[in-house]
Amino acid sequence: MIDIALKKKRNRTSPGPFLCWLSTAIIVVVCAGLVIYPLIVGAKAINLEFLLTDPLPSLKEELSGGILTPIAGTIIIILITSVITTPIALGTAIYLTEYAGRDKLPTRLMSLGIDVLAGVPSAVLAIFGLAVFSLPQLAIFSSKVEGAELSFGNSFLVGGIVMILHIISFVIKAMEESIKSVPSSYRDAAYALGTTRWRTIKRAVLPAARPGIITGIILGIGLIAGDTAIIWLCVGGSMTMTGAEQWWLPWNWLAVIQHSGSTLTSYIFYSSPAGEGNSPNKAFGAVFVLMVIILALNLIVDYLGKTKKITQV
Amino acid sequence: MKAFDSKTASSVEQENIVLKQVYSPLRIESASRRYRLWDKIVEKLLLLAAIISGSLVLVVIFFVIKEAIPIFVHNGVRFVTAGGWDQDISKAWASVEPMWRFGALPVIVGTFIATGGALILTFILGIGCSIFLAELAPDAIRSPVEAIIRLLAGIPSVVFGLIGLMIVVPLIMDWFISDELALKYIKIVPLDGQSLLAGILVLTFMILPFFITVAVDALRAVPKTYKEASLALGVNGWRTIVKVVIPVATPGIVAGIVLASGRAVGEAIALSMVAGAMAFMPDPSHGAVFFLEPIRTMASAIVDNKETMGAETVETALFAIGSLLLLVSVLLSLTARITFNRFQKRVMGMVE
Repeated sequence: MIDIALKKKRNRTSPGPFLCWLSTAIIVVVCAGLVIYPLIVGAKAINLEFLLTDPLPSLKEELSGGILTPIAGTIIIILITSVITTPIALGTAIYLTEYAGRDKLPTRLMSLGIDVLAGVPSAVLAIFGLAVFSLPQLAIFSSKVEGAELSFGNSFLVGGIVMILHIISFVIKAMEESIKSVPSSYRDAAYALGTTRWRTIKRAVLPAARPGIITGIILGIGLIAGDTAIIWLCVGGSMTMTGAEQWWLPWNWLAVIQHSGSTLTSYIFYSSPAGEGNSPNKAFGAVFVLMVIILALNLIVDYLGKTKKITQV
Repeated sequence: MKAFDSKTASSVEQENIVLKQVYSPLRIESASRRYRLWDKIVEKLLLLAAIISGSLVLVVIFFVIKEAIPIFVHNGVRFVTAGGWDQDISKAWASVEPMWRFGALPVIVGTFIATGGALILTFILGIGCSIFLAELAPDAIRSPVEAIIRLLAGIPSVVFGLIGLMIVVPLIMDWFISDELALKYIKIVPLDGQSLLAGILVLTFMILPFFITVAVDALRAVPKTYKEASLALGVNGWRTIVKVVIPVATPGIVAGIVLASGRAVGEAIALSMVAGAMAFMPDPSHGAVFFLEPIRTMASAIVDNKETMGAETVETALFAIGSLLLLVSVLLSLTARITFNRFQKRVMGMVE
């Protein structure tokens, strides 16, 4: 009896639960700091002029302009990458969930390849992209280097294409999950009407899986907006648009995406004390904008998660 | 009961909408020939998309290794056992003759000590938080904490780098590096706060959310009957967690660690900002100063040495680094996948 009583006492005073609370508290406080600190510091740098002027090449912080082209660059990369990734990822997700035999070797190899790609560091993808698009035959994606048998290998188009490799695995995973969670009664009902496989998928499965599919695309956009290594190596280190001075004119857009420029992440890297720009206040201003984008994407994903729960019982 | 009814009602409604779309009289052309043909075409297109996605990684592996071969031919094992990375790069960059001698040991060691340190910290902090989220937390606290951790996973690495550089690095400088210490080591290496320690701290918070997500899933997957059996024997909640839940979930937790280490090995930007961007090999004989010395990791070497890529040999050397990274990350992905699948099977077996 005494033995049990003693054990009970020891159990009650175990520091375990307290340590769990403590480590959670540490993590939450640091996370909150990581989100709030740059928002507070960055908010000071934000004004209309900062948002609406191009970066200027100056070592003096007050003369170094704003972040208009980095914001535009982020949007350009997001558009290029998501427009190409979405159909390929959706097609792959549909094939793997609806058509392929689950346990057949080719299917398993394909999903293994997708899994492994998810683990490849973006720095490796970046150096891969730079080398591939430096091939002279692929000059159309960037520009020719005068006097050498090489392409420049740096452009929004190159960055956008390499970025596909970085995000596609995650987008496919999210889409697969949402298609898998559509109840099979939907498919059975459609098949019972004598319709074909593809029409069943198009009319019954995909509409039900829509929130999850959109979630996948948004997760991909978050990854695109946040990556730096691919941008730095494949889009380049120049802060302004090198394609055309009046880059906002639609007829210059092709030239713009064939040339180098910057995004918010490469601007932050460049303007940090570790980069050449060294104007930390401007860097925090850009972090503010980037964090607002990331937070907004998170909110949309949360909202879609809720609607998904309502429509898919 | 009421909640159940309303759920069923909404699902029936949803199903009706879907059925209407399929049923509507205009659409009943049954599976006419045209549709069957279209069906076949679409299937082929989807297969094509799947083949493209599945083989992208092979293209990357093939190309990176192909570009890296000359370095391994010229250096052999020396590439991974010899030091002097920074000097080799600048020599190769400056010389007119192609220079093929590179020793990547400092960046390899840098990668592994930074990753190892971050993993240890991640495990210590993360396991507590995972147990908290899976077992202890009241609902009202759990979901906001989970939301914050999800958010942490979405913060871009360059933001971690900037905050590390503006806050962590100056703090390390103030707390641990006195003028005398810096002066004493000036001949060996400059100590300016950009250090292994800063790298480990920043890296830890970058990989924590990935570890916690997998570990929480693993802990939650433990069959309820196991816990109930233990509680029925009069074992209290905490001892049940330690003696029953954690041992069953261990393979899943290991998968989380492996996944997190894959992230850590590949991190480039944040580490090149806070860890010193110098291919120095910290010397354990310096005692605690070991942690204050700068390092450079493999991934950050690729980003940092971008400017010198004009020289063909340097580019090839970076590809050699890339292929080593690729090898490590592929191995880690495979290990994580295998461990987690095994764990899932094991838990499934327990339920049956």
